[in-house]
Amino acid sequence: MKYLLPLLLLFVLTACQDDDDPVSATEEVELSLDFRADYAGQPLAIQSGTYTYPTGARLKVLLFQYYISDLELLPVGGGEAVRLTDIDLIRWMSASEPATTTRSYRVPAGEYRGLRFGLGVKPELNARNPSEFAADYVLNEAEFWGPTTRYVFAKIEANADLENDNTFDTGLSYHLGTDALYTTVTFDQTFRVAEGSSPAITVAADVLRALSASGQTFDISNPDQRNVHGGNQEVGRDIWERLAGQFRLEIRE
Amino acid sequence: MVRQYFIFGFLSLLAVVGCTEDPVDNAIIDDQAITGPSAPTPYALEVPAYFPAPIVDPENPITEEGIELGRHIFYDRDILSSDGSMSCASCHKQELAFTDGLNRSLGIRQLEGGRSAMSLVNLAFNPSGFNWDGSSPKLWEQAIHPVEDMLELDNDWAEVLRKLREHDDYPARFRAAFGIDRKEEITRELTVKAIAQFERTIISADSKFDRVVYQNTDFFTEAEQLGADSLFFVENVPPGTLHPGCGHCHNAPNFGDNKFKNNGIEDVASLDDFVDKGLGGVNGNRFDNGKFRTPTLRNIALTAPYMHDGRFKTLEEVLDHYASGGHNLENEDPNITGFTLTEREKEALLAFLNTLTDESLLTDERFSAPR
Repeated sequence: MKYLLPLLLLFVLTACQDDDDPVSATEEVELSLDFRADYAGQPLAIQSGTYTYPTGARLKVLLFQYYISDLELLPVGGGEAVRLTDIDLIRWMSASEPATTTRSYRVPAGEYRGLRFGLGVKPELNARNPSEFAADYVLNEAEFWGPTTRYVFAKIEANADLENDNTFDTGLSYHLGTDALYTTVTFDQTFRVAEGSSPAITVAADVLRALSASGQTFDISNPDQRNVHGGNQEVGRDIWERLAGQFRLEIRE
Repeated sequence: MVRQYFIFGFLSLLAVVGCTEDPVDNAIIDDQAITGPSAPTPYALEVPAYFPAPIVDPENPITEEGIELGRHIFYDRDILSSDGSMSCASCHKQELAFTDGLNRSLGIRQLEGGRSAMSLVNLAFNPSGFNWDGSSPKLWEQAIHPVEDMLELDNDWAEVLRKLREHDDYPARFRAAFGIDRKEEITRELTVKAIAQFERTIISADSKFDRVVYQNTDFFTEAEQLGADSLFFVENVPPGTLHPGCGHCHNAPNFGDNKFKNNGIEDVASLDDFVDKGLGGVNGNRFDNGKFRTPTLRNIALTAPYMHDGRFKTLEEVLDHYASGGHNLENEDPNITGFTLTEREKEALLAFLNTLTDESLLTDERFSAPR
């Protein structure tokens, strides 16, 4: 008799468990997510790479970075998204670093139908000042324009050789971001995450495709288009739109 | 013969008695033991609300006793330098916002070091490496090298530790700060950690700029306001404007992003020709040659001469450099573009830069030599 109540409880709990539930509510596994920077489809080499620009100029890329907000896995079946991080800064700024940077998360094992993130700093965080965080947090004063213009969502910096004289003497500095530009990037690609057998998942971004795509190339020979900072975001809007539209998700089982 | 035996017996007795411990006191005298308080008091840095939270170093939590010990060592010439003539404070003078006014610091032999002494204010907010070239990932590691550099304090750490252990006062201070029991536990690491704890308390946040912008207790002059708006904080950069504003790299409230950049001061033929390679000299990457840490501009009016080698004697020279652009090297910061700077703008910008001086820092007794 004394075992009756626990047995009933066990029966109830077992009955509630859905064998077809795509995402386990209990088993968490480690998921590594790679972020790769490319130029024209090849891994980006900060400073050491010399790249051809569609107008005939050559580029040395010195910096490429972007914020992602609300990085989430989307479970098959439409369950609640699994939040991996609220905010992160993905950055390539050194010739010593590889083109791929990796983040690790603990996530429920299961099948997912995709991944999404907000490109930029989501409005509720963009409204918060760097003084609300520690100096080494990803939202800090070095990435903050000021009280009006707020955080820089993405940066592309390069030196260009416009005359093909082997002198990279034209600075290009595209600093982009404002609440109006915040864009959600969604990938609809199915993958299964399991202990020891998760696929290699890579979010790839191509610097060239942010500057030149679909027959449209940002004119870097025009001095008015070599710098985008703070309030003059209209100049860089098409860079932003191309940047937001060019992300790819690579899944290798 | 009897007399000889008597003498032998007497000498033997004397020897035995001489070797016998004092029967009255059996305690072993341990000259390595340190007595006194050994429970350090955690200390929270005082930071204004308009500053970010300071970076915590879990390897070196700040305590009241650690700060006080560090302050004593920071100012102690006898302990730190081989000839007793210099301490950290010799190159980091409080009245000069913890710089020394020299283009390259002079060590005990009166020989020039490699670089200019950096200001020590607001180090608690630096997420990057320390020194001009980032060679010390942690603040406490930074203090190791100057002690033994022959162009600086030219001492030997073994000698420093010997003096500290034999000192009348320091062993008890080390015990109070780090809870150690014995003098031999006074190590190089604890010594530099104490110095770093003191340095992390040096926070400069009470300039006219702070009073105007954050505290609303003061007003900019017309020139200061123009300097702030015209070139320093340029939030709305019109298309075609080359200069993104000084605040692009010298962001408020710390006025220095601590990132490593080639700011275009060196006219060299190639990346391999920098005399001082900066960050590239640390990590061996030629593309980082000529890159140095962006320093804070707080108290900039007091910290001349400027740049890592003190090449610019005045702020006017600094502004002229940036207005003229760099030297078109491939790793130069793309924001070094050159721009038009009128005399009126220059005067206004200088007026604004002068508002970054924190007068209270210069006499704050918490940062002064112990009495």
